[in-house]
Amino acid sequence: MRDRLPVLSYGLIAEIITQHPLWKRGIRWVSRGTEFITRNRVWQSIFRQGYPDTEENQSRVIFNSWFLHIHPVKVKKHSLNIKYTWGLGVITAFLFIVLVITGAWLMFFYVPSVEQAYTDIQSLATSVTFGTLMRTVHRWAAHLMVVTVFLHMCRVFYTGGYKTPREFNWMVGVMLWVLTLLLSFTGYLLPWDQLAYWAITVSTNIIGSFPVLGEWMRVILLGGHEVGPAALIRFYTMHIAILPGLMAILVGVHFWRIRKDGGLSSSLEANKIDYGGSTR
Amino acid sequence: MSDQTQDVFPKDPRKTYGLMELVKGTSPMVEKGPEDTVMSWPHLMILEVLAALGTTALLLFWSLAAKAPLREIADPDVTENPAKAAWYFLSLQELLLHMHASLAGVIIPVVVIIALMVIPYIDRSKRDIGIWFASKKGRKIALWSAGYTTVCLIGLILFDDFVRVRSLVNEPEILPGWIIPILVIGGLMVLLYVLIRRWQPTTREVLIGLFTGFVVTYFVLTVSSLFFRGMGMHLTWPWDLPPRALTF
Ligand code: HEM
Repeated sequence: MRDRLPVLSYGLIAEIITQHPLWKRGIRWVSRGTEFITRNRVWQSIFRQGYPDTEENQSRVIFNSWFLHIHPVKVKKHSLNIKYTWGLGVITAFLFIVLVITGAWLMFFYVPSVEQAYTDIQSLATSVTFGTLMRTVHRWAAHLMVVTVFLHMCRVFYTGGYKTPREFNWMVGVMLWVLTLLLSFTGYLLPWDQLAYWAITVSTNIIGSFPVLGEWMRVILLGGHEVGPAALIRFYTMHIAILPGLMAILVGVHFWRIRKDGGLSSSLEANKIDYGGSTR
Repeated sequence: MSDQTQDVFPKDPRKTYGLMELVKGTSPMVEKGPEDTVMSWPHLMILEVLAALGTTALLLFWSLAAKAPLREIADPDVTENPAKAAWYFLSLQELLLHMHASLAGVIIPVVVIIALMVIPYIDRSKRDIGIWFASKKGRKIALWSAGYTTVCLIGLILFDDFVRVRSLVNEPEILPGWIIPILVIGGLMVLLYVLIRRWQPTTREVLIGLFTGFVVTYFVLTVSSLFFRGMGMHLTWPWDLPPRALTF
């Protein structure tokens, strides 16, 4: 029945559209516009290759770019399998970027003093454009990162991704997990509301209960015996400088090691006769 | 070497070839033709951009649905009840109810971190790398360990709330604070190992059982102390929780 009618197939629709003079003129304008932007010394000094539609340019676009060169030019097909990684490492890394951007933006409007911190957070909602949105995204992204980093660890564990030669990257990963928790923890105090105050009081009391060294560790963390102005400054410094700095460095090491370790683990590496004896 | 490799590196008759170096070990790419790889641009890039867009969309919708909380200004004289830590530390706060604070809040977390770090040095076999749960057996062990851990934990929490270890043994403090909890945790781990043994597991499969125990413990304790603990951190049903007991 169907094929007797003059079928309006997708192919036919596409042809009608692409043969239309308006479409052709549009295309001409777009390509002229693209040429205007890309055919000049400034553009070509930044992007040293043409549009990445040939394998050569697809290689160059990766290794000519500072942002992309952390990727290998080619990857194993297997490593793109969503059911292997669930994209969890990439999502975690992206969340970190979101947190750095929204966090830097929040710093414009926030003073870490006991007098001002709370009202600064309040006025995000009343007198800063998109203030509530940015704070909310920062907070939910932080929670989500705690979840995804843990799920990523589970994925790596259950696929055996920690095995030789990736032992060290697993260790780096465990440190990244701890760092993620510490970043969330130090950020939790900054709004200086009841939720923040008592959560940090409860948590630091636990450390203080440790025999002999406990109270000493607590005082170092809080800069005093109570959660007060000194604690706020310490948590702030940890949260916006020290911990994100460490995180950026360790994430760099983590990515570098993925490449040095031969890309993602895969069952192609499985060695049926290697029972983990003295092979090295 | 396969035929494809010949195509990629055709022998050039104008050159001479010699052996330059011997390298010990195997490479993941040895004896794999180029058909196993694809260009990162566009195949990997597309997936990364999609992940970023999806995450952004999720964050925006979530942020429209719920605002970040802000309570009254911090006041050391007004105690929050219940006073809860951030949710990802609530599992430790749950432990705190059942043992000495430094065992729950310092020693156990440090031991867990160290235990995680040494995993790759305990399981050194490359037999089943890249295979989810190692094998059918591994899958069974994971499921089994998850069930075992959930049942044990719920039992322990209920026991310590309704019978109370401290009402049975209170003196000296080291017994309910340290020795009993350590014996119970250690005992349950050993028992898990003994129960898994009947499947004759490999090292990795044993680790799968233990790691699953850790993940499920983290989950169950978080849920119990976030959704089932109200005033004074006493057990409550989630629908009876005071509204301030949910801490995000
Ligand atoms: C800020 C935290 C982290 C970021 C941004 C991150 C990022 C990534 C990314 C993008 C990958 C590539 C594959 C994938 O997406 O799964 C990866 C792989 C890997 N990650 Fe992470 N990761 C983090 C934390 C962790 C943690 C907590 C662990 C383990 C304890 C870990 C261990 C590994 C290992 C061993 C690999 C290689 C896996 C394989 O080859 O199969 N990472 N990570």
